[in-house]
Amino acid sequence: MKRFVFLLIVLCLMVTMVGAKDITLRVIQVFTSPERTKILENIAEQFEELNPGVDVEIISPPYETAYNKIYLMVSTEQPLDVVEVGDWSLAGMASMGKLESLEPYIADSDMTQHLIEGVVKSARIYEDTAYVMPNAVYVKTLFYRPDILEKYNLLTPPHSMGELMAYSKYLTEADKAQFGFDWRGIDPVNFMDLVLTSFFDDLDPNCMYKTTDGKIIFEDPRALEGLNFYLDLYYETAPKDSINWGFDDQVNSFVSGITPLLFQDPDTTGLLNSLLGEGNYKTAPLPIGPSGKVYPTFGFGGWGIPNYSENKEMAWKFIEFFNSPEISAYFCKNYGALPIDQRVYENDPYFSSETFAGWEKMFADPETYRFTDYPLDNPAWFEWYQLQGETQQKILLGRMTPEEALEEWAEFWKEAGL
Amino acid sequence: MKNRKKFWFIFWMLVPVFSVIGFLSVYPTIKGFILAFQNYTVFTFNRIKFIGWDNFVEILSDPDFLMILWNTVIWIIVSVFFQLLLGLGLALLLRKPFKGRGLYSGLVFYPWALSGFAIGLLWSWLLNGQFGIINDILIKLNVIQEGIQFLSNPDTAMLSVLIVNIWYGIPFFAIMSLAALQSIPDSVYEAADIDGASGWAKLVKITLPYIRPTIISTVLVRSIWIMNFPDVIYGMTRGGPAKSTEILSTYMINIVYYENNYSKASAVGVIVILLLLVYTILYLRFSGQGEMEL
Amino acid sequence: MKRSKRTVLGILRGLGLAFYLALAIFPLLWIFITSIKPPEEVYTFPIKYWPSKITWDSYEYLFGFAKFGRYFLNSIFVSITASVVSTIIALFSGYVLARMRFKGKYFFVVFLFFVQMIPAYLLMIPQYSMFSSFGLINRLSGIILVYIGLGAAFSTIMARGFFVRIPVSLEESALMDGCTRLKALFKVTLPLMLPGVAAIFSFSFVQNWNEIFTAALFLNSDSKMTVPVALYSFISKAGIQWNVLAAGIVVSLIPTIVVFAFAQKYIVAGLTKGSVKE
Repeated sequence: MKRFVFLLIVLCLMVTMVGAKDITLRVIQVFTSPERTKILENIAEQFEELNPGVDVEIISPPYETAYNKIYLMVSTEQPLDVVEVGDWSLAGMASMGKLESLEPYIADSDMTQHLIEGVVKSARIYEDTAYVMPNAVYVKTLFYRPDILEKYNLLTPPHSMGELMAYSKYLTEADKAQFGFDWRGIDPVNFMDLVLTSFFDDLDPNCMYKTTDGKIIFEDPRALEGLNFYLDLYYETAPKDSINWGFDDQVNSFVSGITPLLFQDPDTTGLLNSLLGEGNYKTAPLPIGPSGKVYPTFGFGGWGIPNYSENKEMAWKFIEFFNSPEISAYFCKNYGALPIDQRVYENDPYFSSETFAGWEKMFADPETYRFTDYPLDNPAWFEWYQLQGETQQKILLGRMTPEEALEEWAEFWKEAGL
Repeated sequence: MKNRKKFWFIFWMLVPVFSVIGFLSVYPTIKGFILAFQNYTVFTFNRIKFIGWDNFVEILSDPDFLMILWNTVIWIIVSVFFQLLLGLGLALLLRKPFKGRGLYSGLVFYPWALSGFAIGLLWSWLLNGQFGIINDILIKLNVIQEGIQFLSNPDTAMLSVLIVNIWYGIPFFAIMSLAALQSIPDSVYEAADIDGASGWAKLVKITLPYIRPTIISTVLVRSIWIMNFPDVIYGMTRGGPAKSTEILSTYMINIVYYENNYSKASAVGVIVILLLLVYTILYLRFSGQGEMEL
Repeated sequence: MKRSKRTVLGILRGLGLAFYLALAIFPLLWIFITSIKPPEEVYTFPIKYWPSKITWDSYEYLFGFAKFGRYFLNSIFVSITASVVSTIIALFSGYVLARMRFKGKYFFVVFLFFVQMIPAYLLMIPQYSMFSSFGLINRLSGIILVYIGLGAAFSTIMARGFFVRIPVSLEESALMDGCTRLKALFKVTLPLMLPGVAAIFSFSFVQNWNEIFTAALFLNSDSKMTVPVALYSFISKAGIQWNVLAAGIVVSLIPTIVVFAFAQKYIVAGLTKGSVKE
């Protein structure tokens, strides 16, 4: 009899162990690069060690096709447990109705109390519900090359847009292949807006394209001033080729020193650390505009859970693990991102090093560096993204005047019901 | 009896290819046509319905549509013309054997083995206004004083993508023409030599007429492919700057990737098919080639 | 007089050949040089034409960091299988469309041309939902099926063209001797067709080897990735790693060049021997 009970127990144990072995957690990323894939795989391995019986599979589609692929996978309910969603595509993904609301998970989690301010709020883009949990935030700041500025006796980074222009003009010597501002013509949305809106002092804290009294900014004469200023940066201080530049060309040009002043996200640090080396570039707060202010936005990437996933609990466990201070620090340091957990900044000296000076100062002064949001929940956003870039190129090619462009933009957003 | 046997023989021989095509092309194409009349976007995923001709109206009323159409026409005609001309030239040079011809043709034909995507990237690297080796060489040779903004200036962007596409397509035409050239019996040339015909006369009177059917069919297939071949442009300019290199197939990709509007993209696809049908019918009529041979 | 004319022609021909060679080889050369440069010399200005030291790091990175060996095997497997199958079935239908007389034949031929006109992006959504309901997503067999479909129409068009050029007389006499049609095809016609077979196969191989769009969409697991998709993922939000991508392009060229080297003997030299007899 005893023997029988013993056997039964052993059998039960075996069954549960075999059963537990069965979980494959499928995680798909968007911002694929070989380095990032490696980082995620390392994290996945650590997670597997802590959770025997769980097998994490990282799916890494090429970046340009990633969203399209995720839409198709989710719409046909392909096996997925954790999907990465960027801020710009969150509303689209969520409106498909295939993402699980993470509110109950967030409410139950003790990681919430350590998050930096505004993180969960910024994820509530669609129907005021958090359908993703951010895994890192991205804010643009000014990158500069102290070695090149010093060559021209410029000892501090530009503090205002005016200074940025003056510096850039001063640096520009086209015949020596020396230019100032690291301009970009492809997908310029964020860059143009940063400059253009810095001419405003009354921007809606919830919408980049509206003033506090509800007017669309492109109808305001200050928008024309800002736009012309931004265009002058191209005409007078940037390589002509930059009309066709994207991220890649911007970074190359910064690394080679051709354009030592760059607006970019923290994911540039990972790349710059390997191409230039830590310390050979620095960051400073975004230059403030004539209004004395500048309006950055909180970008983020995050993890969501498809509502048809069979491993939701495990998926959330993975997300929590990913956001734990240690893993978050590892991810943000190697990939280049700002951690969402307050403790990381306190524990890890890297995040208060000089590389992060720009962000630190910006976060410390919310009066000057006023965070606002893009109208990402508007279905016209995707189209806007393309339209703004195209009209900008048309202006530069002389097919359109800045006035006409602003009119078209204002019209676009009115039609989109902003 | 014999007829029935013949019927089944034909049937079984055709079944594999046509069932594969039916399954993988025809059925999805029909679905694609249906999609073109719906409103399938990421945002309307749960509210898909028929919206009639709206997608087509939206496309045709795009102020840039005429330019895109014009670009597409230029893209096809210029590419095919020069691919044919240069490809045929290469084939004529390769017709007579010489030492190392095998190795030589291997080296000259390799672009054909690259993917269009790799070609696009490769050339955008070579033509880069800042780090591009082509500008650097031209400056060093004193041909130009400062770098040409090949891909960022709309006047040179189209020219650049065209040149690259021509470069890519030469081997295909050369291979096809070479095969056809080899099939011209030597005796025909010998007879012409006896008559004292000049090289030029031989080319115009013998060679070209002989390979004409091959050329006609190759040009047709090639123009269809080029119409549906966005890779080179996409890899180099994405259709920019300001849509100056946008052709219908890159337009379609941009609608998928930027707007996530699958129905509108399908509508572009339908337009592409219709245009190609018209083109093919006209082409076959004017080239006097009723039945194809390839 | 005549001799000097011939020399001039010879020189012109040499110049012409040199022109094409330079045109073709120069980009490849630059890509190769980029691939053996140390990473920090890729973006230097002024441009470095030759690396200060030759390094194979990019290749090591490629095969170590990314599982390039695995992708390579996947690509070989997929491309060869799909090309073999589509060549075989194309030979069947090409033969019938070239040799047999029957009602609707012209329709079939025109239809093959029509299939060429369908843009890939039109098929994307329908194909994806079809494949997902058959459970063919993330399977190499699914990709193989797509590639067979991609190649079948054009391969048939080509096969038909080759069959048309081979004289019927040989086959007819075999039929007279009591051979079945299939036997006559395999015993008599096909051996004459070998160059054509090589051409069809290599065209379809090159196409399959380079295919990105479907593979990127239909395959998920890292262990199932193909070479072009892997190269594509070197382009990220964080830009292009040019030296590694260059190494990838060089490596990915090898199989197509091998296939081509073996096929070109037929294409260039013997492709149309059959038709000469007509």
